[in-house]
Amino acid sequence: MPQRLRTTLYYAALWLVSLIFFAPVAWIILSSFKTRNDILATPPKLIFSPTFENYVDLFTRSTFMLQLINSVFLSLAAVILAVFVSFLAAFCFSRFKPKGTDFLMFLLLSIRMLPGPAVIMPVYLMYVAFGWKDNHIGLIFFYAMFSIPFSVWILKGFLDGVSTRFDETGRVNGGSWFHVIFKVVLPQVKPGLIAAFIFNLIFVWNEFLFNFIIGGVSTQNIPYALAVGAYADGGLNWTFIATLTSIYIVPPVLFIYFFQKYLLVGMTFGTVRGEV
Amino acid sequence: MSTNSISRALDNRKFLVFALLAPVLAFFIVFNTIPTLWLLGLSFHKFSLISGTPPEFFGIRNFQDIFFNKNNIWGDLRRTFLFVVVGVSIQTVLGVLLGFLFWGSKDMPGRRVALTLLFTPMVLTPIATGTFFRFIYDPTFGALNFLLSGLFGTGVIDFLGNPSIAYWAVLAVDCWMWTPFMTLMTLAALGSVPKAELEAAEIDRLSWPQRVSMVIWHHGKFILMLGILLRTIDAFKTLDLIIPMTKGGPGQTTRLVAVELNKQSFESFNMGWSSAVSVLLLLISIAMTSIFIYILNRRRKAG
Repeated sequence: MPQRLRTTLYYAALWLVSLIFFAPVAWIILSSFKTRNDILATPPKLIFSPTFENYVDLFTRSTFMLQLINSVFLSLAAVILAVFVSFLAAFCFSRFKPKGTDFLMFLLLSIRMLPGPAVIMPVYLMYVAFGWKDNHIGLIFFYAMFSIPFSVWILKGFLDGVSTRFDETGRVNGGSWFHVIFKVVLPQVKPGLIAAFIFNLIFVWNEFLFNFIIGGVSTQNIPYALAVGAYADGGLNWTFIATLTSIYIVPPVLFIYFFQKYLLVGMTFGTVRGEV
Repeated sequence: MSTNSISRALDNRKFLVFALLAPVLAFFIVFNTIPTLWLLGLSFHKFSLISGTPPEFFGIRNFQDIFFNKNNIWGDLRRTFLFVVVGVSIQTVLGVLLGFLFWGSKDMPGRRVALTLLFTPMVLTPIATGTFFRFIYDPTFGALNFLLSGLFGTGVIDFLGNPSIAYWAVLAVDCWMWTPFMTLMTLAALGSVPKAELEAAEIDRLSWPQRVSMVIWHHGKFILMLGILLRTIDAFKTLDLIIPMTKGGPGQTTRLVAVELNKQSFESFNMGWSSAVSVLLLLISIAMTSIFIYILNRRRKAG
């Protein structure tokens, strides 16, 4: 077989694999342009006259805007807060190695290893006792706490890679610690900050259980809407589900397209570095 | 304090260490340490939110109940264990194969788009994934039934309603979501093999199995192990994928431990019992974290 044909076949096979993995998602996006009857048709219709009615319906739903705004607001606020405090802590762990650093890093990680209900159950009791339930601030603080372990791990990995000579030079030249931390070191770990930011954002954007348990009607986000609002007319409201899912997946998919080089570091707590 | 006195205070090393750590520690003490201690305490109590009575000291009764399989908790753990072992094995084998397949694709046109499509399943919220797979699995209008009947002439299969199939149908979705992750890890592992050694192996005319066992495995094993471990931990927590698909049913067939814990805590409000189960899971997750960090340290030592 000539080399070119072989390469073409090889690439075609790779594309096929990618498309097979994407097919279920594509099917949902396709379904969002169908009328209710077309969605429930047997056999399933591949060819149909597309309609934007579902999108119009969704955007005129009174709760949709609230859910969208909540999703954006909760994830941005929590992640900005988390990445900022995590950067300070990671700098401290990386440079000063205070007693118990290893233990604290271990504790941080173990929180992310615990099943969700076990994490949220005592927090739920606390929130109920203090009346913090269904409150944006309460939810943002909890999400920030939950985003910290991941951010500290990623950022410490990156900070360990920045030579301490930079700090020393900055200090010798009369710079304050404030100057060294924010003006000298921070710009050098920008990739780490971006990775921590993006992957925490995806996490909070996707988060359902905590929103459902310690949030409530006024803090509901899109996954909450998908889980709770899916029923209508005595059955599952497939047009609503397909349309909402199609809108909600846009940010994560765009993120992994534009920030593909951070995907590895983001999916492994910063423990594996490299590009794919 | 003026800016000047702040920067002078920051010169004190001890104060600086404390100032940098304080925000994270505050978050942890309030939202994690205190709740966890509360959890530990509650696990020795009988406490139901529905009865409205205050927690009643119970000694180790909850743990005894766990040991003697109250509420079929060992069944949940067994199903979870099987879910983890079978799921992670399939994902690892498929993921590694796909990783090798994608290894030589650096110059592929549209590679970035193709990889985005491939990696999409793992960044979707399991709630959405579970919901739309319920749509795809549906016995009357689902696409999968139509596809299978057309290709293999199978009759109508009720994937999520049939007790002997539901578990595997849910597991298949988990594999769909996470095989790309193992592909990603395999690509990273292969990327960590030095080019020079691969070229040397090619010049020495090593066969493929030899190349894998002598060159690639030596460099790639740690990254692959970290990947498997992260998957193991994550599969152990599986919950929001199951909620929209089966809610643990039919019967108890897809009731994993996190699903049941969720139900006991937030539907039946058995807080004492749930705390005891949570403590058990906490111990398991601490053990898994230790293994993860152990492998991480070995990798550092190996360079």
